[in-house]
Amino acid sequence: MNNLTQRARMQPVLGVGTGIAAFASAAIVFLILIFLLVFAWPAIRFNGSGILTGVIWNIGNQYGSSTVTHNGVTAQAGASFGGLVFVFGTIATSALAMVIAVPLSFLVAVALVYRVPRKLQPLANTLVELMAGVPSVVYGLWGIVVLVPWVGNQLGPFAQAHLSWVPLVRGETGSGNGLLAAGIILALMVLPIMVATLRDVILAQPPTIFEASMALGSTTWQAVTRAVFPSVRKGFLAAVLVALGRALGETMAVLMVCGAAINQFPSNIFQAVNTIAAVIVSQLDSALTDASGMAQRSLAELALVLFLITLVVNVVARLTLRGADRSAQ
Amino acid sequence: MRKLALTALALALTAGCASQTTTTTATATAPEVSGRLLETGSTLLYPLMNLWVASYQKQHAGVQITTQGTGSGTGISQAIAGVAQIGASDAYMSDAQMKGTPMLNIPLAISAQQINYNVPGLNGVHLRLSGPVLAGIYSGKILTWNDPAIVGINPRYASKLPHHTIVPIHRSDGSGDTFIFSQYLSYSTPSWAQGPGMGTTISWPAVASGVGANGNPGMVETCKNTPYSIAYIGVSFLDQTQAAHLGYAALRNRAGAFVLPAHATIAAAAQAMVNKTPKDERISLVFAPGKQSYPIINYEYAIVNPHQTGAAARANLVAFLSWAILPNGGNASRFLDEVHFLPLPPSIVKLSKEQIAKIH
Repeated sequence: MNNLTQRARMQPVLGVGTGIAAFASAAIVFLILIFLLVFAWPAIRFNGSGILTGVIWNIGNQYGSSTVTHNGVTAQAGASFGGLVFVFGTIATSALAMVIAVPLSFLVAVALVYRVPRKLQPLANTLVELMAGVPSVVYGLWGIVVLVPWVGNQLGPFAQAHLSWVPLVRGETGSGNGLLAAGIILALMVLPIMVATLRDVILAQPPTIFEASMALGSTTWQAVTRAVFPSVRKGFLAAVLVALGRALGETMAVLMVCGAAINQFPSNIFQAVNTIAAVIVSQLDSALTDASGMAQRSLAELALVLFLITLVVNVVARLTLRGADRSAQ
Repeated sequence: MRKLALTALALALTAGCASQTTTTTATATAPEVSGRLLETGSTLLYPLMNLWVASYQKQHAGVQITTQGTGSGTGISQAIAGVAQIGASDAYMSDAQMKGTPMLNIPLAISAQQINYNVPGLNGVHLRLSGPVLAGIYSGKILTWNDPAIVGINPRYASKLPHHTIVPIHRSDGSGDTFIFSQYLSYSTPSWAQGPGMGTTISWPAVASGVGANGNPGMVETCKNTPYSIAYIGVSFLDQTQAAHLGYAALRNRAGAFVLPAHATIAAAAQAMVNKTPKDERISLVFAPGKQSYPIINYEYAIVNPHQTGAAARANLVAFLSWAILPNGGNASRFLDEVHFLPLPPSIVKLSKEQIAKIH
């Protein structure tokens, strides 16, 4: 038995194995979509467009005997499954996270590549990657114990006193649980993935771009913003989209600091919000006691909405990355 | 090497025989229950269940009970699905749910809830609050601590109540605490009954300063960190609320008296509801009559399917539940005091026994 025949025999096994694996990953995404569609179907009929346009979320009077029927589907009386508050919160928290994380991660990536001494780079890279490994509940705990009280008791009153001329800052600042806390937590959580992607994109550029710019007498800042940044713009966008995909679906840490708003929108960055992922987790237990089952199915419909949002973001990210690869070549 | 393995095998065999013999003798002397049980549900009952199970398993070596704190709704649905034998719930099942699958709702103990607040300078005293005032706060009609409605029932602290926005904190997750709190508001305030109503999760009115917190630990933490906030917190978190130096309110009961949560006032409320408790024991104890009655108390339930397959499994379940409700069993003060629960009144123990007897 020589090595060559053994290798030849293994070839089809490997081929079939990887084929199944590749097919499975596509099939799982497809099956999740089918499951959500089938399970949420009665809710889709009951809620109509209300899931995207309605503001009131009410699983109905569970201890009353009356029910309501709409489009042939029955729920407890008073039921109203408006998801706009949660769709808004999902997008708003992620957008705020991007506003914080994008410039920060660009600076960190630039520092890692150009400013950190070569000997310290492995250590610095490891530290950034370690951030990605911290479980989200740990970020959430830090959020509850440190961040939220700081926002509520220091930053909020300060903003009320000195920054009330800024539109999205003025008004009731509440407890610190809210849009800003959720945005900061999310920014920290997506920072490592953005830094890592950006660092790799910058490193993939020929170092001559930076060096030539420096040789022409520019400062590091000028070289980075005027020479390096234009060449990594697409990779930068892709990094943002990948991070956005992660932020949209983040659950536990957001749930712990977002203030779990229901039936209302925040009027400034300090007030409570809620995201689709957080509301699914927090409402599921009560939804399970809904005799009509419509609360569970409406949560599944919200999950479907989230699934579609992240799917779109991921597809756009893929296409952008592909474009970035091509432009890099 | 082979010799060693053989010796080990022989040893294992003898050990197996030996343990088998002891089990047989035990069964011969006294009919002993054994087998596995899964309990899941209420996170409020979870600490008590763990105390119970540790002690119960010591007395019954053959019994293995797994406990899980997953939430009351999960407990009920897994008991219905037959995944768990005991679904722990702070709320009794609704008529609509019972119509789908009739289950036994067996009270195991009595719990209560306090209204906590964090008002700088006033946490050391007991402010007076009522259902309509709380409903006003949680629906955004009463916005500051020196609102006439609050000052009116707290004349002693009229000058100390601050002109500061109240931050009402509610549970973001489904919760038995939300259930009994919203019952107190519904039973005492007609407009609340018609509006948000009652449930383990309700559609909270929009209040700009309002905030949701996750679980009782989240309620304690948020209330502690947020000056001028108010929260409803299960009595089993009494130690945590005291460590956080939160104030707790005297609540107006049905008779119009302001009462503090205490052993005597909770027991008085429970006693007042004994005769009203129906055979299936699904009843709210909130807003009980009587001058001494504390208004927010509830039965903690085991949700059990009356049809259990297998005689041994059935006997195991019945034995544990029967032990749990006994004054010298699970309802002993050495267990209940740890979580500040109260034992079932004797006539309720009798009703619960009758329900347990229905398991077949």
